[in-house]
Amino acid sequence: MTFLFYLFAAMALIGGVGVVVNKNPVSAAFAMILSFLGLAALFIQLNAYLVGILQILVYAGAIMVLFLFIIMLMNVEEEEKRKFPIVNALGGSGVAIAFAILLATVLKRSEIGNAGLPRLSVAEGPGNSDVHRIGELLFSHYWFPIQMVGILLLVATVGAVVLSKKQLK
Amino acid sequence: MPVYFLEIIVVALGLLILMVDAFVKLEDKRTLAWVGMLGLVVVFALLFRVQWPESTEGAFWQFYSANDNLALFFKGIAILCTLGVMIMSYDFSGVVVDQTADPEPGAHPQAGLGEFFALPLFACAGLMWMASANNLVSIFVSLETVTICFYVMVAYLRRNVGSLEAGVKYLILGALSTGFLVYGFAWLYGVTGSMDLAEISAALAKPDVNQAAALFAFALILVALTFKVGGAPFHFWIPDVYQGAPTPITAFLSIGSKAAGFIVLLRLVSPFLASGELVGKVTLAIAIIAGLTLLIGNLSAIPQKNFKRLLAYSSISHAGFLLMALACTPRSSDASGALSKPVTVIAFYLGAYLLMTILAFLVMTVVRRKIADETFDAYTGLAKRAPFLSAAMLIAMASLAGIPLTVGFWGKLFVFKLAVEQQQWVLLAIGLIGAGAGFYYYLKIAASMYLGTPDPKKQVIDDTPIPIGNVARIAMILLMVGIIVAGVNPSLILGLLD
Repeated sequence: MTFLFYLFAAMALIGGVGVVVNKNPVSAAFAMILSFLGLAALFIQLNAYLVGILQILVYAGAIMVLFLFIIMLMNVEEEEKRKFPIVNALGGSGVAIAFAILLATVLKRSEIGNAGLPRLSVAEGPGNSDVHRIGELLFSHYWFPIQMVGILLLVATVGAVVLSKKQLK
Repeated sequence: MPVYFLEIIVVALGLLILMVDAFVKLEDKRTLAWVGMLGLVVVFALLFRVQWPESTEGAFWQFYSANDNLALFFKGIAILCTLGVMIMSYDFSGVVVDQTADPEPGAHPQAGLGEFFALPLFACAGLMWMASANNLVSIFVSLETVTICFYVMVAYLRRNVGSLEAGVKYLILGALSTGFLVYGFAWLYGVTGSMDLAEISAALAKPDVNQAAALFAFALILVALTFKVGGAPFHFWIPDVYQGAPTPITAFLSIGSKAAGFIVLLRLVSPFLASGELVGKVTLAIAIIAGLTLLIGNLSAIPQKNFKRLLAYSSISHAGFLLMALACTPRSSDASGALSKPVTVIAFYLGAYLLMTILAFLVMTVVRRKIADETFDAYTGLAKRAPFLSAAMLIAMASLAGIPLTVGFWGKLFVFKLAVEQQQWVLLAIGLIGAGAGFYYYLKIAASMYLGTPDPKKQVIDDTPIPIGNVARIAMILLMVGIIVAGVNPSLILGLLD
């Protein structure tokens, strides 16, 4: 299991780096799919089957296909010719490395592996399926935030239409 | 009336405007703004008649705090702020139509205006939910509702490159800060095992709390919220976005977004401040950010030429004063007076900030309709041409600077008093420097309005009066009266906070 964890974590990370490094937007989008697949595998290893499958179906499937369509409609060559100043690359990776060092220090100091962190009870319910339990929680305990998400999506839809429609009616 | 009806009414109002806009043929779409304004006035009146629930059982109250006067105060700020934005949008609708619509032949000439009046209402509902949120989930969802409304509204003038650029900048940086927020929430959940703020508070107060992990969660959350309220060093988006956004939306950003950021900051930081193990480090971090914000905001405001940019830096500097109040949290519980609590001071300051900022932006919107120039040149010698507008602007600027007998004076005074009580001398010194710089750049505008003569090289000399709509005029008079009356007697606002 540990081996699989490192394998999929590496896959997610390599995909992430690929998104940033690739100049061709299509390759970058494919790298993103790779990263999503790695993430999905990690979720499944954590027994979160539904989240893992949704990650593949929704993100790696639907959303990335949409991404690729949009990229193909745009002019890709222009993006490929763009030059990134070395200063920006150094600055960007510097921030990322600093954050990684910070994270490593926090992980070491907090001794998360053996410290007395609270056990989470979510994964230990009665034997129903994952989907069943998440669905029930969403529409019973979390009904109010779900309603708010409804408003959020409405606003996003209205905004997308208003901002992108060619000629308003 | 149960308290949660307020948000439902506001959402329903927004939906009503959207539906009427879509299905009813209106002569003048500005009628929709009237519907919104009247509705908001009604909701504001209902605010004084809410009933708290007798029992807080049920899933709903896990996400919505009961019996919380501070939440009501912030809801009031959200409603008044949205009302001000609607009044400005009404006056600004000509510009919106000019720069958004490219209507099909035969379509309504004001196409795309209806949504401009509906979106602020959804943002207002989000702000109100946020004021009552007592759970990481509801905090996050309401914060995102508001932010997504803002993304759309900032980029709304889609035929205007500045507005689109502002929208893209805001979207990318806002998404990044949201990432930090969620990551911080994840760590906080990992440390405390709960999403509920009361339970988080209890878990952090235990002496065996995992300090390193809790502080990391705090740092991530602080980064995200400093971005939202416009504190240094995460303030770089503010001037560009404020300048590019449509003026009413700039006002909304500078008040609504800030008030929302601070209520969330207060709620999320207070568990850390209540924890004896963490309070020292947490206060130090906030104090450093507050000092930086004060210096950068005030000193960068001095050389500005564009009015909106000036108000952007001014909004950064006010965020600095608010953060300064937060950094002066009493270490022990023996400080009993209401004004010894940062919560009261911050709420008062935000209330004051609401009055003066809305007034300044109202004047700007009215002037902008007649003079397309947004630099100070448009205001040179304005007093002869538009005495009423100049008087309103003078009062707004005096209050923003913090001159006695205006409400802004008390806001700053309470913050300084808090700093003296907590013996934060360095912060106090920086705050005084900031306030001094503020006097210079706010009063510079006031002076040029009254003493300056228009330079024919820089602007077209035009002596015709600037027309003011009736609603805008009434709103300005009310705001001026409010600033002065609360400036003479600040207990009027403080009374609402008890």
